[in-house]
Amino acid sequence: MSGLCVHNRDFGMTEALVRGFRTGFLTDQDYHHLTQCDTLEDVKMNLAETDYDAFLADAPAVTPAVILEKATAKMVAEFRFLRAQADEPLSTFLDYVTYEYMIDNVMLLLKGTLSGRDVGELIAQCHPLGRFRDSTMRSIPAFENSPKGYADLYQTVLVDTPVGPYFSQFLAESSERLGSAAEVRHVLEEVELEVVKHSLMKLYLEDFAAFCDGVGGDTAEIMGEILRARADQRAINITLNSFGTPLNEPAMRATDRKRLYPSIGFLYPAGTAKLAEAADEGALGAAISAFPVYREIWAVHQNESVEDRSIDDAFYEREVQMLELAFEGQMHFGIYYAFVKLKEQEIRNLVWISECIVQQQKDEINKFVPCFSQTAPWRAS
Amino acid sequence: MGYETCQGEYCNASYDELLTHVSPYAWAYMGIALGLGLSVVGAAWGIWLTGSSLVGAAVKAPRIRSKNLISVIFCEATAIYGVILAILLLSKIGDGSEVKAGVLPEDWNYNQWYFAGYALFSSGVGVGLTNVASGISVGIAGSSCALADAQDASLFVKILIVEIFASALGIFGIIVGIIQSNDAEFPSA
Repeated sequence: MSGLCVHNRDFGMTEALVRGFRTGFLTDQDYHHLTQCDTLEDVKMNLAETDYDAFLADAPAVTPAVILEKATAKMVAEFRFLRAQADEPLSTFLDYVTYEYMIDNVMLLLKGTLSGRDVGELIAQCHPLGRFRDSTMRSIPAFENSPKGYADLYQTVLVDTPVGPYFSQFLAESSERLGSAAEVRHVLEEVELEVVKHSLMKLYLEDFAAFCDGVGGDTAEIMGEILRARADQRAINITLNSFGTPLNEPAMRATDRKRLYPSIGFLYPAGTAKLAEAADEGALGAAISAFPVYREIWAVHQNESVEDRSIDDAFYEREVQMLELAFEGQMHFGIYYAFVKLKEQEIRNLVWISECIVQQQKDEINKFVPCFSQTAPWRAS
Repeated sequence: MGYETCQGEYCNASYDELLTHVSPYAWAYMGIALGLGLSVVGAAWGIWLTGSSLVGAAVKAPRIRSKNLISVIFCEATAIYGVILAILLLSKIGDGSEVKAGVLPEDWNYNQWYFAGYALFSSGVGVGLTNVASGISVGIAGSSCALADAQDASLFVKILIVEIFASALGIFGIIVGIIQSNDAEFPSA
């Protein structure tokens, strides 16, 4: 009740702004025009009539990479506008949304230094939403490529960033597990970067879910559903991708793989316990068969050769459905998260269409998931 | 009950005496204050509920600006009801000149006096509370109306009907308030 009566005092304007941005999503008609284009110049012209306007105006040449960069820049500009208008606890909520991209950026920079790539190139590839201060960004690849280097990197640079707590928690848990009073360098030496990333994302999702529960009301309910679905998606994907890698060894499953599953989510704890023991796809299917939604998504994966839809497509569709539903209610924070994620999906769609046009693969061009589409499979016609 | 009750001339012997010793003028003016004050609280609440959404939605959809001021006007109406009622009630109160001599006259009509005081109090409180409810209700509906109109212009009139029902709550209040205060009249010396 108090949510309805006083929410607008602090968040009325930002909510209305996000709903304004929502009207800027590409419609079915726009997608139709885009898929009919033959060159990227046509795409640019068609986009000029949508909310994207002249976003490619000062781009020298139009390529899919340029479209990705400029469209992301537009979304980030809108997000920063919202963040500037936001009050507590919305400002913390919006910061949480950016932490995910910070984790991605740090992982990108660390991996990049491992393969010896150039600093400037790496920084240009970082997602703008997860940008640290420029000094921090520059200093990450400057550390030497060794466990000692990582340890120093953590202790001097990362610990001050918003994702520092996730690192420190991860290191604390790992050093416990490794038994001895292992130093940071030993932990980072023993553990692969992929596992580091999965662990950080797990901690981030749990932290975010706890924050949303703390905010309460409709936000807790809606964000809870969305984050739990995401946690389950991660659990299933981690398991699926681990088949054929060392992570699927019987010794590793219960200890290493199981600790990557988030502790929020509908699959936790019974489903994740079964997933932890799954050694192959059959066992995976059996583990999630008790959950109707995931059973259907798994069925899509099993029919992949027939229907040409992958499990990622099915997960994307489900995510888009949930995010669109977030817009159905007023006076909660779910719409801000939904806006960022749906815009990301739209940018992925744009890049997919552009790539198909460039590579002349017109028969693949319709395999994207539109947002707020009237023809979505979950909408009764 | 084991404690000494005050036996002096000016002490109240019971709650009954306490309440009847509150001057009817106090009741009447409290009623007017609450009626006006709470009506304005309700109107202001509704206006900021609607206005914040309107301001934000108009960024991307400037066409909604003029039409959605109707929501704000509905909220304003509840404040006007409060002012009307306050002026109405004020006209029923005498000038208090009967106490010039220091004591009330012998044939003072106490019954009418108290009746007037209580009637004006309840009238004011009733109108004030209904206007708070009406204002909040119109405000939340108006906020949704602005957002829906920005999305799809055909929704505006339909949601306006919701607001009309919400503002009817304030009208109920003022109608009953006026009826209550009709027979109230402070006796004059």
